Amino acid sequence: MPRLPPSFSEFYYEPLTDDVEELLALFQHTETVRYELFSSIWREMRFSDVFIGLTNMAEMKRFSVVALGTAMKYFLPPYSYQIRVGGLYLLFAFYNTQNTIPPVKIRLALKDWEKVQKFLKDSVDAGHLDVIYIYHKLVSIKAFQYVAMPHNLTFQKQKKLKKERVCAEFLGRTSAVLEFFSLDIMEELINIKDQYENLKKATAEVSGQVTMTNPNFASHLKDCESEFITWQQKTFAKNWNDEKLEEDDEKSGDDDASSSSSRARLLSSIKNKSYNNYQQASKSRRHRKATTVDVSTSQVNDVQERVVQRKRPPSLRARTTKSLGEAQEENKLQAWLLTAPEGQERVPFKRSQQPPPYRER
Amino acid sequence: MLCTVTYDSLCCHPEEEKPDMETVPEDSILRTLLQRKKRQDYKASLKIHKNRHDLYAEELDRLTVVRKPDTVTDMLPEGEIILTINIYYPAVFDKFNYVRPHMTLLMTGSHTLAELRDAICCVSDLQVCGEFSNTPDVAPDFTSKDLYKSAFFFFEGIFYNDMRFPECQDISMTIIEWAKSHNFPPYSQAGMEDTRFSDLKVKVGFPYLYCHQGDCEHLVIITDVRLTHRDDCLDKKFYPLLIHKHRIATQKCAVCHIFIGRWFTKNDQFAPSDPCLFCEKCFRMLHYDSEGKKLGNFVAYPYVDRGAFN
Repeated sequence: MPRLPPSFSEFYYEPLTDDVEELLALFQHTETVRYELFSSIWREMRFSDVFIGLTNMAEMKRFSVVALGTAMKYFLPPYSYQIRVGGLYLLFAFYNTQNTIPPVKIRLALKDWEKVQKFLKDSVDAGHLDVIYIYHKLVSIKAFQYVAMPHNLTFQKQKKLKKERVCAEFLGRTSAVLEFFSLDIMEELINIKDQYENLKKATAEVSGQVTMTNPNFASHLKDCESEFITWQQKTFAKNWNDEKLEEDDEKSGDDDASSSSSRARLLSSIKNKSYNNYQQASKSRRHRKATTVDVSTSQVNDVQERVVQRKRPPSLRARTTKSLGEAQEENKLQAWLLTAPEGQERVPFKRSQQPPPYRER
Repeated sequence: MLCTVTYDSLCCHPEEEKPDMETVPEDSILRTLLQRKKRQDYKASLKIHKNRHDLYAEELDRLTVVRKPDTVTDMLPEGEIILTINIYYPAVFDKFNYVRPHMTLLMTGSHTLAELRDAICCVSDLQVCGEFSNTPDVAPDFTSKDLYKSAFFFFEGIFYNDMRFPECQDISMTIIEWAKSHNFPPYSQAGMEDTRFSDLKVKVGFPYLYCHQGDCEHLVIITDVRLTHRDDCLDKKFYPLLIHKHRIATQKCAVCHIFIGRWFTKNDQFAPSDPCLFCEKCFRMLHYDSEGKKLGNFVAYPYVDRGAFN
C-alpha cells in the first residue's frame, strides 16, 4: 500500500510560524496600526506566495487551515494590541489570498468571543476605524465559523510534548495597575477614610482608642503602584531601547536599504535580540514570565502520558526468541496474504529498498 | 484611508505577471517556500506520483460540496449545530488501530444516536457464521446485522442502548453489574433512539465507545462542534454526511486475482493453499459441477473482506 504523505497533524507549521513572526515583527516596528503599512509589508514580502506549490485541493485545504490557525493565535490575548491588530489583518489577508474552493473558514471559538468583543470595543474607543472595518468585512463575507473548540481535536498519545515558543516581544504588558489607578479610586478611598475617621471621633465611646484601618493606607498603595510601574517600564523599555539604538546604527550605514539580503540581516538581528532578551528577562521577571505554552492535541490528556521519555521494554516476542536462542528467519511474505501463486512472482514482499519517508528538515 | 482596504492591497504581483501556482519561485525569502521547494523536489524524484487515498478523498469532497436543498423544509435551520464524529476501526483490527479514523461523519444536533448507529458501517455486521459448503446458496440470509441487533454507545458514564427492535437486549447490563461489584462509580442507562445530540453532554476530542455484535468495539471521537454556516451542505437529506472514509486494501481471489474474495475454504483438495480465498464465480466453478452438486472434500465459510465497504 503506498505510503500516505505526511500531513499537518500538528496545529501549526514551523516555517510558516517563522515567516508570520517576521511579518509581525516588521509591523511592530512601524509602531502603528494602520492597514496601509501592513499591506505594504505584505506586498514587499510577497507573502501571498505561501499558497504556491500546493498540488492538490486536500493539501491546499490543510495548509489554509494551519495558516488561519496561526493568524488566529496572534489575534488573541496575551499578545499586545498592535500584534493583535496585525493578527486580524493577517486573518483578512490569508482568507482572501487562499486558493481553496470553497474557502476555508476562520474558526472563532466560544471561549474567545468575549476577548474579541473587548478588543473591538477598545478599538472603537481608540478610533481605529480600519481595524473595525476589517473585522466587520470578514463577518459580512461570512468568513467566520463559530465553533466550540479552536482546533479540530483528536485523541493522540503524545510521545513527547511539543513546547510552543512564545515571542516575548509580542506579548502585551499588563496595564491593569495603570487602569486601576486612572480611575478615581484613590480619591474615593481617601474620602471614605476621612469619613470613617470623622465618624469615629464623633462617637464618644470609641474615639481614638480603636482603629480598624491602617493610617497610611492610601500613601502605601500609591507607593506600591509607582514602584510597579517604574519596574515594568525599566525592564521592558530597556530591551526596546537597546533594539532601537542598534537599528539606527545599522540604518545609517546601509545604503542599499531595499535589497533583500540587508533586510534579512536586519530582521535576523532583531529576531535574535528578541529571543536573547527573552532568555535574560526570564531571570529577572518573577511575576510575568513569558511561559512556554504546552500544545496538546487533546484537551483531555492523561497526566501519566506526560512522563514518558523512557525506552520501551523489549516485547514478549523479542524476549521469547532471545531466550529460545532461535535465529529469526526473515520471512519476507506478508502474513495477510492467503494465496501464494507459483514462482512467487508479483507477490508483494516486505519492501526492503524503500525510499526513506520524507521528514521535514 | 478606507478606500485602500481592498483586495488589490493584498496582490503581491501585478496583473500581467501572475505567478504559476504550481512551481515554487526560486528567489523567495519565505521559509515556508524553501521547505516546500525541498518537498516538491523530493516528490519529483519518487516513482509513484498519484496517491490513491488522496484521490478517494478528493472524490468524496466533490460530492459533498455546497448543496442547497430543493425545499425549505429540508433546509437546516439557522442555529443548528453540526458535529464531526470520527469512528475508528474495531479494536480487533491489527492495522491502524486507534490511529486512522475509519470514517468521519457529520451529524446535526437534532439527529438521534440511533441514526448515528445506522450510519456506521462495520464489516462485522455482514459476517455470516457457519459452514456452508453443502448449501452455498443460502448463505446471505443470515448476516450478523440481522441476528445480533443490540448495540450501545457509551458517553460520559451513560450507556445508550438500542431498544428499537424486540430482539435487542440490554448488553450494557453486564458491564454495569461488573462495575458495581468492583467499586467503580455507578453508570446509568438511556435509550439510543430517544437521545438527540443536542441533549448530550460530551467532551470534544475525548474517546467514547460504540459496541455492537456483543464484542465489536469501536472508538468514537467527536472532533468538532460548530454552528451551521452558509457554505455547509444545507440539505437535511444528506445527513449523516460522510466526509472521510479510509479504504483498506482488499484481498483478492486466489484464482483470478481480480475480484474480492467471498469464500474461505479449508482442507480443500482443489485449493493451492490452506486456507484459501475464492471469489463467487471461481468458487462455484471449481467446487461444484453444473448441477450444483458438491465436488470433493472441503469446508467453506462465507468471507467478508475488511474493505467490503470501499
